[in-house]
Amino acid sequence: MASIDLDKMLLKIKSTQWSLSDIDWDAPGADMITEEQWPKLKEFMADLMWIEHVGARAFAAMSKKAPTDTLKEIYSYFHAEEQRHANAEMALMKRWGMLDGDEIPEPNINLRLVIEWLDRYADEMPLYVLGTVVPMLEIALDGALCKFLLDTVDDPVCHQAFEKINDDESRHLGVGFSVMEMQGHGATYIKTVKMLAPLLDPRLLLGIASYFPLLNKMRDNIVELGLPEEKLYAAMEKFEKIGGRTADGRSNPWFQIIRQHAKFVVNRSNRIYHVPVDAMVKLTGYIPKRALPAVPSWVKELTYRPSA
Amino acid sequence: MSTETRTETDSAKPQQKAASKPAAKRKPAAAKPRAVKSAAVKKAPSKARARKDEVAARCEVLIIGAGFAGLGAAIRLRQQGIEDVVILERAGDVGGTWRDNTYPGAACDIPSNLYSFSFAQNPEWSRSFSGGPEILKYVHYLTDTYHLRPLIRFHENVASLSYDQAQGLWRAVTGDKVFEGRSVIMAQGPLSNASLPDMPGIDTYQGHKIHSAMWDHDYDFTGKRVAVIGTGASGIQIIPELVKKAGFVKVFQRTPGWVLPRPDFQTPDWNRGLFRRFPASQDAMRKALFMFHESMALGIIWNSPLTRLIERIGKAHLRFQVKDKWLRRQLTPDFRIGCKRVLMSSDYYPALQKENCKLITWPIARLSEKGIRTVEGIEHQFDCIVFATGFDVSHSGTPFPVSGIDGRQLNEEWSRGAQAYKSINVSGYPNLFMTFGPNSGPGHNSALVYMESQIDYAVRGIRALRDGNLKALNVKPDAQAAHNEAIQKRLAKTNWNSGCKSWYLTEDGFNATMYPGFATQFARQMADLDLDDYELIIAN
Ligand SMILES: Cc1cc2nc3c(=O)[nH]c(=O)nc-3n(C[C@H](O)[C@H](O)[C@H](O)COP(=O)(O)OP(=O)(O)OC[C@H]3O[C@@H](n4cnc5c(N)ncnc54)[C@H](O)[C@@H]3O)c2cc1C
Ligand SMILES: [Fe+2]
Ligand SMILES: [Fe+2]
Repeated sequence: MASIDLDKMLLKIKSTQWSLSDIDWDAPGADMITEEQWPKLKEFMADLMWIEHVGARAFAAMSKKAPTDTLKEIYSYFHAEEQRHANAEMALMKRWGMLDGDEIPEPNINLRLVIEWLDRYADEMPLYVLGTVVPMLEIALDGALCKFLLDTVDDPVCHQAFEKINDDESRHLGVGFSVMEMQGHGATYIKTVKMLAPLLDPRLLLGIASYFPLLNKMRDNIVELGLPEEKLYAAMEKFEKIGGRTADGRSNPWFQIIRQHAKFVVNRSNRIYHVPVDAMVKLTGYIPKRALPAVPSWVKELTYRPSA
Repeated sequence: MSTETRTETDSAKPQQKAASKPAAKRKPAAAKPRAVKSAAVKKAPSKARARKDEVAARCEVLIIGAGFAGLGAAIRLRQQGIEDVVILERAGDVGGTWRDNTYPGAACDIPSNLYSFSFAQNPEWSRSFSGGPEILKYVHYLTDTYHLRPLIRFHENVASLSYDQAQGLWRAVTGDKVFEGRSVIMAQGPLSNASLPDMPGIDTYQGHKIHSAMWDHDYDFTGKRVAVIGTGASGIQIIPELVKKAGFVKVFQRTPGWVLPRPDFQTPDWNRGLFRRFPASQDAMRKALFMFHESMALGIIWNSPLTRLIERIGKAHLRFQVKDKWLRRQLTPDFRIGCKRVLMSSDYYPALQKENCKLITWPIARLSEKGIRTVEGIEHQFDCIVFATGFDVSHSGTPFPVSGIDGRQLNEEWSRGAQAYKSINVSGYPNLFMTFGPNSGPGHNSALVYMESQIDYAVRGIRALRDGNLKALNVKPDAQAAHNEAIQKRLAKTNWNSGCKSWYLTEDGFNATMYPGFATQFARQMADLDLDDYELIIAN
């Protein structure tokens, strides 16, 4: 069995905590960001930070849903850890002079929609839906984007921070895939149908309507940064490889759905998928800011300051 | 070893034990019961033997503890003509819980008219839910009115208790003295041992540390940055008071509890006058309050339609007092009501939303030199950390070693969960009566109501010894087993055993704390002493 011992994992998580104050944010190296990199990097960092926050909110919902106390506690740690990643990324932005005073950078509209959806509905979604979408987001966006960053930025403090962040992420993925397998275990026809039932739930359809354009939008952002989109696809394929390594993992119907969807995303020549989704990205770009409700109060918890 | 769990945050194992503050101050030995414990296991018997001639007092009844239970027992014994009583108290004064818990905002969460003895009612309660000082005053009133002070030996911390079968005497060893009694009433309190939790880094923290049960009244909170760890019964009382004074208060919560509004009001003068002149009216009030709490049991102990209703009241209370959606989510409990102690407060939620207060739900990673590091990567810095982390509750151990017939050890017998007969006697330990023994816990009603039933049972037992010229009353093992089988069967159907983790349960989910029923049923259980369930040893 590829499954991990969750109790041991929880102990490991508890014993490997770190804080923003473990890093010297004023150490030399900030000037290694080139003038040309700077504006693009600023946008990229803002997106990255918000993706962490999407993960955070999803883990918060999963912590309420988890079937065991151990898993509940693990998710409550992951929730806080994603917040820590966002905080650390904000501290990097601060270091690079990318923050206007205490302002929290704005998320792009597609992220904003996903956050809105999560805040409204995530607590009501079953664990197996979030439990599959989250590892995908983590591996594709979180994972791939971090990798890009390290490939392009030489600042040692950035590398120091992401070494810690990546350690956390490897545990998130370990638990994520393990839970996917647990939920695929003993899949029968009835169980599969039950697990797919939320697909008919209009609330989930709204979620899908914000998730699809997000992936395309991030792809566009990556291309704009001058990075090869193949790297994003390679990360997404990793999801299929790891998630499908066991029979249990493969028999999780949500793994199959997310995997299939990833194939659409990766295949640019699939016009049936990309034409409408790209149109949605464009359309959402026209949503006026005031049409959106106020940001939820948890958003204001972000900070670049190591101590409070 | 005993399984020790903490109430309130049940966060960690105790780190350094400290008994009640006065005791700790005067007798450093009393500050480490655990050390005393292990040393006493080996030394106590030989010590006792070596000092046979140094017995400080021999009496008919030894009472351990001068809180409500110990004092109440002494009053009732005397009312039954049993005068030869000695009370051993480790601290320097009476009062127990209310002597030790003097934090700002300390108050009872059961109406005062019910949180008092039925045989010594107080018409003068100034509020519906009295504050700690007033309750302590009532304890002093009891002590003085019933002339109990001469019975009490202060600064005597019982370190072990052993039964001398030949003589039919219990022997209590304190620091340097031995006390002997025909019978013993253990009234050392269910929640009397407080200690700082064993959190990583607690020793590195350089600021001021205060435990709710050992309040530091010399510390001035004005303008200070303060952390409160724990949001249980004590935490929610302290927070509204600190917010009034401190510069900034951050509240660290692990699991949110159910909070119901507490209708606290000043007792009008006419009301006090009425109670004074017509005590029957106070009796009636007490009965009404009692019945109200009894009916709450229906929802709190068992999963019934009333459970949903009380939960709905809790949720409505939250919705009414907290407007922010996320904060409400943070404060919404995810266990069934009654699973843990229900909290009563009308000013806790408003306090959390004051400008100078903030609720933190991130898990605590460790304490550092300057404050608390939480998992979201931030170090929250403080001048003072208040630990409202509850008490060390032992499910299987005993507060000090207790050895019975043939040297049998109670904590060994209880290692897989404590068991007793009707919560009060244990087979093999004759003439030993416990207050708040196994399965005596009130989940929904005044502890004093339960306590009275226990005290009166003990008094009946002690009278039986005297009237029957008996040396010992030893409960039969099969009577004890039958009692426990019935209790556990009934517990299985309660909310406490519905899969929630709380200090009521042992690590393997055994419930040795709560009584699965109404207070009325408990009173009935304790109402008669069935001598058929006991082995009687005639004095020769
Ligand atoms: C903050 C707080 C609020 C509470 N509020 C309520 C409420 O509203 N309603 C309710 O029903 N219950 C409440 N309780 C529960 C409360 O514990 C009981 O109501 C009651 O006070 C218990 O009385 P007791 O005499 O059994 O124990 P205690 O009051 O704890 O007295 C025990 C005494 O024994 C002494 N002692 C302990 N060990 C030894 C030893 N080894 N040797 C010698 N002496 C020893 C202690 O010093 C203490 O004086 C509350 C408890 C706390 C802590
Ligand atoms: Fe992350
Ligand atoms: Fe993550």
